[in-house]
Amino acid sequence: MPAPIIEARGVSKSFFGNPVLRDVSIALAPGRIHALLGENGAGKSTLINLLSGALVPDSGTIEIDGKPHASLTPAEARRAGVAVVQQELSLTSQLSIAENIGLGAYPRRLGLIDYGTLAERARAVCDMVGLDEDLARPVGDLPLGRRQMVEIAKALFRNPRVLILDEPTSSLSAHEVETLTALLDKLREAGTAILYISHRLNEVMRLCEYVTVLKDGVVTADQSLAGTDADGLVRLMVGRDPGDLFPPWTPTPETETIVSVAGFSSGPLSDIDLEIRRGEVLGIGGLVGQGQEDLLLGLYGALPASARSASFGGVSGVPSSVPKANALGLAYVPADRKREGLHLIHTIAWNMMLPQFGRARGLSLRNRSQERALARDLADHLGIKGDLTRQVQALSGGNQQKVALAKWMPSDPSILLLNDPTRGVDVETKREIYILLRRFASEGKAVVLSSSDTPELVHLCDRVAVMREGRIAAMLARDEISEEAIVASAMGAEAARAAA
Amino acid sequence: MSIAESETTRFPPRRIGSLLKNRAFLTFLIVVLVWIVAGFAKPGFGSFGHLRYLLELAAVIGLVAIGQTFVVISGGIDLSVGAIVTVSAVGVPLAADLGDPTGTVPVLIILAAATGIGFLNGLGVALLRVHPMIMTLAMATFLQGVLILVAGGSAVSTQNPLLHWFGNARPLGVPAAVYLWVVVSALTLLVLHATPFGARIFALGANPLASALSGVNTRRTTMAVYAIGGLSAGLAGVLLLGMNGQGYVGIGDPYLLASIAAVVLGGTSILGGSGTYAGTIPGAILLVTITALITVVNASPGWRSILFGSLILALLLFSGREARNR
Repeated sequence: MPAPIIEARGVSKSFFGNPVLRDVSIALAPGRIHALLGENGAGKSTLINLLSGALVPDSGTIEIDGKPHASLTPAEARRAGVAVVQQELSLTSQLSIAENIGLGAYPRRLGLIDYGTLAERARAVCDMVGLDEDLARPVGDLPLGRRQMVEIAKALFRNPRVLILDEPTSSLSAHEVETLTALLDKLREAGTAILYISHRLNEVMRLCEYVTVLKDGVVTADQSLAGTDADGLVRLMVGRDPGDLFPPWTPTPETETIVSVAGFSSGPLSDIDLEIRRGEVLGIGGLVGQGQEDLLLGLYGALPASARSASFGGVSGVPSSVPKANALGLAYVPADRKREGLHLIHTIAWNMMLPQFGRARGLSLRNRSQERALARDLADHLGIKGDLTRQVQALSGGNQQKVALAKWMPSDPSILLLNDPTRGVDVETKREIYILLRRFASEGKAVVLSSSDTPELVHLCDRVAVMREGRIAAMLARDEISEEAIVASAMGAEAARAAA
Repeated sequence: MSIAESETTRFPPRRIGSLLKNRAFLTFLIVVLVWIVAGFAKPGFGSFGHLRYLLELAAVIGLVAIGQTFVVISGGIDLSVGAIVTVSAVGVPLAADLGDPTGTVPVLIILAAATGIGFLNGLGVALLRVHPMIMTLAMATFLQGVLILVAGGSAVSTQNPLLHWFGNARPLGVPAAVYLWVVVSALTLLVLHATPFGARIFALGANPLASALSGVNTRRTTMAVYAIGGLSAGLAGVLLLGMNGQGYVGIGDPYLLASIAAVVLGGTSILGGSGTYAGTIPGAILLVTITALITVVNASPGWRSILFGSLILALLLFSGREARNR
């Protein structure tokens, strides 16, 4: 193995007395894609922050090209060629794509930004990641997946020797993932050291040749990936046999329709016909940003929508507001839980009660002891441990997602709309959410699950609607669902075949 | 994590330890300290009569700041409270009394009008999506114009018996205005912290988008909050008229900055989403105390104003800094 470019030796870090990393060592070698695995809260982000100089270890050293740095600064790390693609996007939405890519490293002429050179160099990295958008467009206009690609282009702009990617694919479509995979292969051949963090094990299996596994801040495995399968990886992460990620379930026979819309339009959607049945999990797939979110929000009354005919649980018409949709038994779990799902500065218990506050009429008084008991119940039910009067932002991503789900349970909804509920959630929590959704459906209620994770659609759904350009491109029945079929419909492969 | 509970002001606090981190309680402590020090330093400051006078002044600021607290927690700001105070103080003598000897009817008419003005603010913010700063500033300018047309430049005086009683009576030696403040404060705390409506206001201020998606009617809540802002400024205005005996254009002007300063001194986040009226109360008392201390310094009015502004800034640097991690 060639000498590592950057190496952490026995680093430890604790926050306010809580050890987050204990005696962790990791070495990133040139020309190798190195996977970093671990459940939420295992310390992956902290380790990245140590490697990029954003945090200083309590003990241990970071070595760059064999030279130890006791307290590495972000500037030193950057100069040494370390670039990080963060999980939380760090782009400025008002600035253009080119400006974002060059931010902090603008080429200059006579002290002014040299926009000509910037555009040229930004174009080059955009071509590498397959971004064909106009570089003058503000980043805020782009869908999430494209923004993620801009973030990667931004890292490449600095010609990094070490590229760290924190869950780069969580908001990417299958097509974009392919582009990224090809790109990473090319970088590996060029001798870049790559650290790749993902919850998607099949990607890790395909891309990476070496793995470091963190569990509760300790390295539990540091080995070559050769000869390990996905089950083996899960075993390394959770420290026990993974079982099956997806719970077993029996497909629901054709049952009563609970929601039906015809000629439904909302935002970029046009003329959508859709039936949602009791007892089913209806999947919604497709490339990122094909109108999946507009469909869910339109049905939920959060976006203006219209339909030729619509019936929600026997009531005709599309709900015109969220409270009306709630009254019809609809509930919505958003994709971006920090921005749309939770009140981060408020407590866990308070967040769980919010829909009740929204529903209450007049100037009634709150019943605190009842609230406490209900919150405790929900937390026990979903396995959220600890003090419920902590702020919800103190929880890990997976547990935050559980809170975003739990808050709807007291309202007893009959139609649950979910927008990518397992995004950035650890394997264990994913499984718990899957079990919950199937159980919910088996109680004769309906689940509509929009997901960018294709295996989820394949293994969990009774039917899958694949969306493309604001329309339902295909409705796959249970026996037609496969990853190939979903990707093919999403890419318009069938339409192309039919036209030929 | 560093995001401990200390940064969201909660009321009531749970333990003694958290009491010392509680912003409302800290502001209260500062008031007590200032009173003790000033009482020793300056004879007459600590006398019952003087402290009673300070509380009476604080009551007016405290009433205006009720609405401001609601609005700020909901994530907005109300720059029209000063103008609404003036409108109410000048408006009572102009309102029809319908032969009511107690003077209650004109007061109710004016309070309804003040609530209506606040509701219009809310309508602009919630439905027309005008930024709260622009909406309420425009409303203030509009009201000032109306006042000049209706009242002209002259002061109006009133013989309203109800207001005269609230402005001057002292049952058991305590000003009636202070009783009014105590009762309304208790109601305010109840609404903010013990009703679902209050919880909706905190939700709106912390994350409007997530609130809307959780089934909170954000428009209705916004309109209600600004209506409360109008009502509380109106209440302060009629009380001020009762205490002064006369109203004039500009009488409410000092209460705009005072209400915002009281809210922020009391630990309510200017960004919305967290805070309590329990902090605004000592915030209001602290403000009048500072004003009283400044008059002791023998300085020209210009220098007094400069001193007052600097002191408020200094206090905010000391106690009102926003939590970083939001």
